[in-house]
Amino acid sequence: MTGANESGTPPSPGGGDSPAVPIHLRPARPADLPVLVPLLLRLKRLNEEFDPLLRVRDDAESQAREVLKASLNDPKAILLAAEGVGPDRDKVVGFVHAILRERPFYTPEMEGVIVDIYLLPLYRRHGVGEYLLKEISSQLKAKGAGVVIAEFPAQNEIASRFYAKRGFRAITERHARSL
Amino acid sequence: MYLSTPVGGISGTPTGDVGIRQSPNSPNVSAKVLIKAPSVNDFGMAESVPAPVEGGREPRRRSRPRGASARRESETDELGRRAVELSRFYGGKIETVPKVPVRSLRDFALWYTPGVAEVSRAIHADPELSFDLTGRWNTIAIVTDGSRVLGLGDMGPEAALPVMEGKALLFRWLGGVDAVPLPIHATAPDAIIDTVERIAPAFGAINLEDIASPKCFGILEELQKRLPIPVWHDDQLGTAAATIAGLLNALTLTHRSVKEIRTVLLGAGAANIATARLLLALGHDPHRLALVDSSGILHAERADVDELSVRNPWKYRLALRTNGAGRTGDLASAVAGADVLLAASTPDPNTITPAHVRSMARGPIVFALANPVPEIWPDIARAAGAAVVATGRSDFPNQVNNSLVFPAVFRGVLDARARSIPDEIVLAAARQLAHHAADLGLSSDHLLPTMEEIEVFPHVAAAVADAAVREGIARRRLSHDEFLHRAETQMGRSRQLVRALQRAHLTPPMPRGGPSARRRSP
Repeated sequence: MTGANESGTPPSPGGGDSPAVPIHLRPARPADLPVLVPLLLRLKRLNEEFDPLLRVRDDAESQAREVLKASLNDPKAILLAAEGVGPDRDKVVGFVHAILRERPFYTPEMEGVIVDIYLLPLYRRHGVGEYLLKEISSQLKAKGAGVVIAEFPAQNEIASRFYAKRGFRAITERHARSL
Repeated sequence: MYLSTPVGGISGTPTGDVGIRQSPNSPNVSAKVLIKAPSVNDFGMAESVPAPVEGGREPRRRSRPRGASARRESETDELGRRAVELSRFYGGKIETVPKVPVRSLRDFALWYTPGVAEVSRAIHADPELSFDLTGRWNTIAIVTDGSRVLGLGDMGPEAALPVMEGKALLFRWLGGVDAVPLPIHATAPDAIIDTVERIAPAFGAINLEDIASPKCFGILEELQKRLPIPVWHDDQLGTAAATIAGLLNALTLTHRSVKEIRTVLLGAGAANIATARLLLALGHDPHRLALVDSSGILHAERADVDELSVRNPWKYRLALRTNGAGRTGDLASAVAGADVLLAASTPDPNTITPAHVRSMARGPIVFALANPVPEIWPDIARAAGAAVVATGRSDFPNQVNNSLVFPAVFRGVLDARARSIPDEIVLAAARQLAHHAADLGLSSDHLLPTMEEIEVFPHVAAAVADAAVREGIARRRLSHDEFLHRAETQMGRSRQLVRALQRAHLTPPMPRGGPSARRRSP
């Protein structure tokens, strides 16, 4: 889960895969791209807040479109769109993006990496993040992943806490410096 | 009444002008003390600025402000020179003075060792006794990191000291409070919080001052959680309370209820973020409240909302909670149809235009609180249909002035020995201020008490102390009349003290301006 989860009133829960959660999760379609691209950019701009080495490129928008388009056609990637419910039924309010990676030296041999996860602020909390995480984890598992990995900026303490609460721990670290 | 002379009415007494001030670089508004020439004998500033003319026509907008601001500038320059001169002459503005008799050195066996050891043992056994056996009950710290001094910006702690001294003088003169100026060398919020926590044992309350937004919010919240005494940030709460007081009366005048109005807050700095919170506490519908800042109307899907979640969670929370209609765009889109516009933003008289005012609901309420220049001149706003207009300036009617608030609030919480200062207390102060103005006759030109109506202070103090008792946070529970009497006595004594020192020439008369003023060894 990315971003701060403070107060906010989402539309009333109901419908969708899980009646307790005010969103409906489905596989993304090419027609979603015009909405998914700005959401992915929002996520990258949030990441920018945490480290100067995460400064967003000028061509990030076209890059976002390419990356998402590639994942839509990639059997080793999962891209799910989160729609609102009620009056927001046809509005894409977030998404989760994961890819499968081989682990040549370790077991389990396949890992599922959550590379992007974003929800508009009003749809955060209320168990939505947890629901997204559960759904993507089970779909990754169905594709053969034996471990699920979340990637996010080291300084994003809210994400750190979110995953830690759900049993995640740091297994490798990526340290960087400018050249 | 214990005081028949207006505050600044004593010849030769340094008085403070107390007006809302505005940083040119920031949308925040808050109030500050400007030391003022001694010959000016009220709390008003800039008497030479022409009084506003009702129903003024737009063409005058060009010439008048320019002339007024030029005069203001030269007047401010002159005040500045004089303030430096006098600061040098007096070597600062406050000193500590004993309040016990000293008949001979033998008395120090009581005031100091060995007698004091027993006082120390008693407090060791019950630290709460520090409120009875020392001056803690009446002593506060004015803490600043100097990161947002007046409209000057980040000046550092040393440069903040004269300003904090001025504030201490006001605390003493108006509130009878012993205030210790305490600029600290600390920048990080955690360092400021730790420092204040460590000095808290000496104080009955803490006033945070001139700390930049948004770090001021987190510092205030954390200190309010940690300390067993009230912590106040005047740039947030003082200004917000005065604004709410004026608004309550403006609503009465225009037959509106806070639960039904649609309100736009222009500027999302320390003062307006606090005002928004207080409005919600008063029962304002969050969906009918909208904040507008330099990036336009705040809403849950604004492009910078994730950035706000990291940098300014207080503004972020309001982005999620307010603006139920999901309006986007600029001020014009926000104010169309609104009942109330509370501006604490940019000192530019064209920030709010007559068209903005005309687009609002019939008979709207407009507070233009930027200083030194309001976001719209009051006569222009009235001509465009505003039913009630308030500014931060004393030379127009309806000055929203935090100096109406902080001396009385501190008097009240100190007299009740309050453990904290919840919003309910802030609202009690605002309501009492509003009542007082209403008792004297409410009109579109008399929304709030003026600084001359000095009798309001003890009443606000007593209302605050009563609220502390009601909220269950008072260490000392007295009746309303007892609180009122204490406040009158303590506030009156302060002014008697200052006058007595002047009469005895222990406070030397104020020197005339010029070279002679430059020499005096303190």
